[in-house]
Amino acid sequence: MTIDTPTLTRGFVARNWARKHLFRTPLDALLTVVFGGLSLYLIYRAFLFVFVNARWEIISSNLKLLMIGRWPNDHVLRVALAIAVLALWGGLIGGLIAGRQRAAGLSVAAGMSISQRVSDLVRRFGLMIATIVLLLLLTDTAGPWLMAIGAGAAGFAGYWMGRAVGARTLGKWMTRLGMLVLAAVPIVVYWYMVSAHPLGEWEGFLFNMTAATAGIILCFPLGVLLALGRRSKLPLLKWMSIAYIEFVRGSPLFVLLLLANVSLEFFVPASLAPSKPIRAVVTFTLFTAAYLAEIVRGGLQSVPRGQEEAAKSLGLSPTKQMFLIVLPQALRNVIPAQIGQFISLFKDTTLAGAALGILDLLAGAEAITSQPDFVGQGLIIESLVFVAFLFWVGSFTMSRESQRLEKRLGVGVR
Amino acid sequence: MTDSNQTVFADATQVHGDAVIEMDHVDKLFGAFQALTDINLKVARQEVVVIIGPSGSGKSTLIRCINRLEEHDAGRILVDGIELSEDVKNIQEIRRETGMVFQSFNLFPHLTVIDNITLAPRQVRRMPKKEAEALAMELLERVRIPEQAKKYPLQLSGGQQQRVAIARSLAMKPKVMLFDEPTSALDPEMVGEVLDTMKDLAREGMTMIVVTHEMGFAREVADRVVFMADGQIVEVGTPDHFFQNPQEDRTKLFLSQIL
Repeated sequence: MTIDTPTLTRGFVARNWARKHLFRTPLDALLTVVFGGLSLYLIYRAFLFVFVNARWEIISSNLKLLMIGRWPNDHVLRVALAIAVLALWGGLIGGLIAGRQRAAGLSVAAGMSISQRVSDLVRRFGLMIATIVLLLLLTDTAGPWLMAIGAGAAGFAGYWMGRAVGARTLGKWMTRLGMLVLAAVPIVVYWYMVSAHPLGEWEGFLFNMTAATAGIILCFPLGVLLALGRRSKLPLLKWMSIAYIEFVRGSPLFVLLLLANVSLEFFVPASLAPSKPIRAVVTFTLFTAAYLAEIVRGGLQSVPRGQEEAAKSLGLSPTKQMFLIVLPQALRNVIPAQIGQFISLFKDTTLAGAALGILDLLAGAEAITSQPDFVGQGLIIESLVFVAFLFWVGSFTMSRESQRLEKRLGVGVR
Repeated sequence: MTDSNQTVFADATQVHGDAVIEMDHVDKLFGAFQALTDINLKVARQEVVVIIGPSGSGKSTLIRCINRLEEHDAGRILVDGIELSEDVKNIQEIRRETGMVFQSFNLFPHLTVIDNITLAPRQVRRMPKKEAEALAMELLERVRIPEQAKKYPLQLSGGQQQRVAIARSLAMKPKVMLFDEPTSALDPEMVGEVLDTMKDLAREGMTMIVVTHEMGFAREVADRVVFMADGQIVEVGTPDHFFQNPQEDRTKLFLSQIL
């Protein structure tokens, strides 16, 4: 079979596609023109703002304040080191998982060509890496560059090490020891950071990230327990869970944060009262746990009754029926909703600035517009756009990873 | 299987030898609806009892009462001498001794085939992993699908899934196996492989209670056939007696409808 000249074919294909998808009926054509024009106009205005009119020097000259707040200059190196260690740690875990999957013959990546693998990596982390590069371009010192390169190298090194180790079968005790070390890493990093600068004074995007991470880790078990409590046969436990969930879901988060700022003094002597970031994390945890409980409850209801009956008929105890059979399936079925809740939590950390007076990313971005160099010049737009962009990058990356996780765990399979 | 020329008991409580399962004046209510009325049934060791009857007659409810998936409201149920009561320990012990195979398989979709089978021996009987896996492979050989061990249930055909479910129950080395319409959810071409597995099991001397619509299976394998209608046991007999010479009008009507 012979094929016509490629140029002709390509033009024909494009015209055909446009006719089919954009101008099929007069109404289609009208909508295409209207919305096409509108989006072009919006893109043009946005482009004009970002690349021509915006005065990004307000961001670039305050980048450190926005990222890590008033972190003491003597200890900035600790932040860099912590990031590098966490990159190594994350790479190690990712590599371990990849290595184990490869060994079990379940690896998705094993069947990919180099170019496919690169495009997969770009799709997963491209946005994040591009954002980091963008931030680096805003700086004028070498430090951040060195830090980013170091962290990147550590991440890669961790990944390769993890993959090599993960492909091998280790002894029971070696595995346990390894898990213990892995679990200890973030705790050590946290201790290392806190010993330089107390948690009560963490600010900037560092606060948002820390509060979101801590909130997500802590709210998960609490949410699951509340969901189980709500289904419990013990009336007291059941009613307490319901009362808690309904009360918290019925209150605005901002109000709860304001309450956390003032009400603890009723119960705890002032000298023992926790610092503001801790109050924020506790409030985020308690708040998100209530929503998570309802999500998990939905998941529990989505598992067919036959699963529990099969577990019962095999003689499994009620606890094992729940934790080995029902709950794993329930949690898997509601991954998208869970991640959605975690993304909400991440974005809601910006409320802490206003409610508790923490100089987080948003509060910092507002504060810098009153600096002598920038006051009264309407630069709040640049500030807010920057904040929105950073949160969007974080949220989008999380939702992308959630889709991957869903696919890998086969949510749609049933 | 006992010889077919033995005495035919018209009464479901008469058995040859000692009874593994005894149901004594059992009633079961779902709200105001009486699902089981005055059920009296004994099943002897190594006996195969097939329960048939129109849908809604209480067949499934009856066997689900035996391992306490349903709670009976009156009467007594004894499994291997242990009486079912509120006592959680008794319930657990009876469930360990009775295997159940469901119409919809109910395999655990998040576990591989071999993990489905080893789960209960390891968790309930505290069997070491290696031993449990050896047992599982042996059982998979027995149901003729050892090559599927590493797959997930949803990657298998319906017939294969049901055979895995049978292997999973057998892994607990139960004294009695309960089958709740094990072939009703299967495509016709897969019914045979599951029935063959069940026949093997009967031949090896497993005590079985089978709720089914497969009359061929009842005729070939059953020691006794129990016919139920409207929550009551209407008639009991050997397959020959039951299919060729039914006594009750209700039985005759049912048989004329299905045969």
